[in-house]
Amino acid sequence: MFLKDYCKEVLGAVQSLLTGMKRTGYYFTHHKEIITQQYPDNKDTLVLPERFRGEVIMPHNEMNEHRCTGCTACELACPNGTIKVITKFDITPEGKKKKAVDKLVYHLEMCTLCNLCVSSCPSDAIKMEQTFEHSVYDRKLLTKVLNKPGSKIMEGIE
Amino acid sequence: MNGSTIIFYLLAALTLGCGMVAVTTRQIFRAAIFLLFSLIGIAGIYFWLDYEFIAAVQVVVYVGGIVVLIIFSIFLTHQAGEQLPKQSLRRKLLSVLASVCGFLLTIIQVWKYSFTKSAGTPVEPSVGNIGRRLLSANADGYALPFEVISMLLLAAMVGCIVIAMKSPTAVVSKENKAQPEMVTIDQKEQKILVEEEIGEV
Amino acid sequence: MWSFSKIAGIIDNWLNQTFSPAIALTIEMVLVGVLVIGLFALLGLVLVIMERKVSAYMQIRLGPNRVGPKGMLQSLADTLKLMVKEGLTPKGADKFLFNLAPFVAMIGAMLVMAPIAFARNFQMWDLNIGVLYITAISSLSVIAILIAGWASNNKYSLLGAMRSGAQIVSYELSAGLSILAIVVLTGSLQLSDIINAQANGWWIFKGHIPVVVAFVIFLVTVTAETNRAPFDLAEAESELTAGFHTEYSGMKFALFFLAEYINVFIVCAIGATLFLGGWMPLHIGSWQGFNHVMDYIPSSLWFFGKTFFLIFVIMWFRWTFPRLRIDQLLNLEWKYLLPISMFNLLLITIMAIMGWHF
Repeated sequence: MFLKDYCKEVLGAVQSLLTGMKRTGYYFTHHKEIITQQYPDNKDTLVLPERFRGEVIMPHNEMNEHRCTGCTACELACPNGTIKVITKFDITPEGKKKKAVDKLVYHLEMCTLCNLCVSSCPSDAIKMEQTFEHSVYDRKLLTKVLNKPGSKIMEGIE
Repeated sequence: MNGSTIIFYLLAALTLGCGMVAVTTRQIFRAAIFLLFSLIGIAGIYFWLDYEFIAAVQVVVYVGGIVVLIIFSIFLTHQAGEQLPKQSLRRKLLSVLASVCGFLLTIIQVWKYSFTKSAGTPVEPSVGNIGRRLLSANADGYALPFEVISMLLLAAMVGCIVIAMKSPTAVVSKENKAQPEMVTIDQKEQKILVEEEIGEV
Repeated sequence: MWSFSKIAGIIDNWLNQTFSPAIALTIEMVLVGVLVIGLFALLGLVLVIMERKVSAYMQIRLGPNRVGPKGMLQSLADTLKLMVKEGLTPKGADKFLFNLAPFVAMIGAMLVMAPIAFARNFQMWDLNIGVLYITAISSLSVIAILIAGWASNNKYSLLGAMRSGAQIVSYELSAGLSILAIVVLTGSLQLSDIINAQANGWWIFKGHIPVVVAFVIFLVTVTAETNRAPFDLAEAESELTAGFHTEYSGMKFALFFLAEYINVFIVCAIGATLFLGGWMPLHIGSWQGFNHVMDYIPSSLWFFGKTFFLIFVIMWFRWTFPRLRIDQLLNLEWKYLLPISMFNLLLITIMAIMGWHF
């Protein structure tokens, strides 16, 4: 009985090792599977995976309008204080005061690209961009204001 | 003086020099390493004598086995990296005297013995020959020493296993006594923990 | 046709005609030494680039591809870098032994080179106990590791050295038993006899399943003896930084690195000699025509082809399997490899006595 288990164990081990070797052997002989990107050389043709996250941006349309309401949900969601929302009060045509975003300050140097701000945004105002060549000589350049100067909120976003 | 003699003297110098350093150095690990080189020198002399089998066995047994064991035991001892204390002059003199006595005894025996050329044809030291000699029960066979040594090794192995094994009776009695207590303690502790949790809630 | 033995014979003739026999012998010895060192350097370069390329392709990468065509000069550039680097000796280290260890490793690897037959009639020293000599000298490699680990005055080095010592000493047993299988079948310890016994087929084909089992056990144990993954506990990066060569840098590190690859080459050469016939071309029994066709391929090509195939297999192991724990490692040896190889040796002995092999 013991001997049977022993032999079974040995054969099972050999089989599982061979399974592993088959996989690596397959990769060794199939060079089409290679995923290496020869980065600076293929800058023009580089295609990044869909889920790659480079930095947070705020899309604006052609009339310099964004979708941010200044609700600070992204600031609250950020685990390491990367986003700072500075709000102001606009006067609506009806004469009411309305909260709006003045500056959405984004510290790229602190960002871990966890995507929590994007998923917490109720009005889909921010999203992840795929740019990744962020290196600069001055750290201050990594602190960005996401809303463009003079931009205002789109019609119909509450 | 031909090349063969030069090689012999080189090997002898290696053996003796390393042996000398091995006994005079004050760092025990270095002593082991120089002992190793000394033993390699002896293996070299066997190679020089065309006794390849003995030479290889010398390397296997002494270099690969015994010196590695010595090094392991040095690794496992306490404070092995420190220098040994200086020996007193009396001890040094006594040990020099003892080794000189041993040397003289050997040298006198070697000089007294008149080496005669053996009449028979020299035995070819091939492996097959050695194996047959080792296991033959004839007049010049080595079957008896071989068996005696194998008995000795068997006894040593059994001894090792006995020392390394925990005595089964003691373990069983301990388990029988100890285990219920352990379980009760565990249960008590668990109960207390559970009660505390409930209390907190 | 040019062959290694022919070239060696011509050089030997010329030297003996021009100089006296003693001087000719000395020159030949120096020549052999230089050739061995050259072979070592070449092997180091080739095996390092081979390892990096094989690992890259197995991990779906490209590997080095910048220096030279397809990155083939990468290891040359690395060697240059290592040569100009400073060889540091840490404070508190045993300087003499620290500097000695890499050379012991290299000399051990060099000595094992002596009885290996590279081609037909091309062997440095065909001594009558070749296999025993190889097992004896290869046990020297552990000494270098122990010296290095001790002399570095570093806990990682010491732990690595202890581990590799335990590992090599225990795996030597099954390696010896699997080598013994072939010795039993051939009835000789001489490497040339073992190769000639495979003139009508390699042992791995002639010896049925037991020899295949012995071959597999040999491959596993030599992987362990050369301290390569999955048995690289002695230099486990994630646990011991770099094990016994943590403190080494520059050329001294390079010597250890080189000795590892040379040892891989040597054990693969021995495996190829014992189980795959060394330089013996693929012969099948009495198929005269087939055997003659195979003889047209030079014997050195056969030898290096087989050796590099085995090296590839060992690299394949390395880049497929994860590292073992120390208890798993010792379990594998004492509970599986050793009993199996002993039983296997018994089977092979019966087979050899009854003459059941081809």
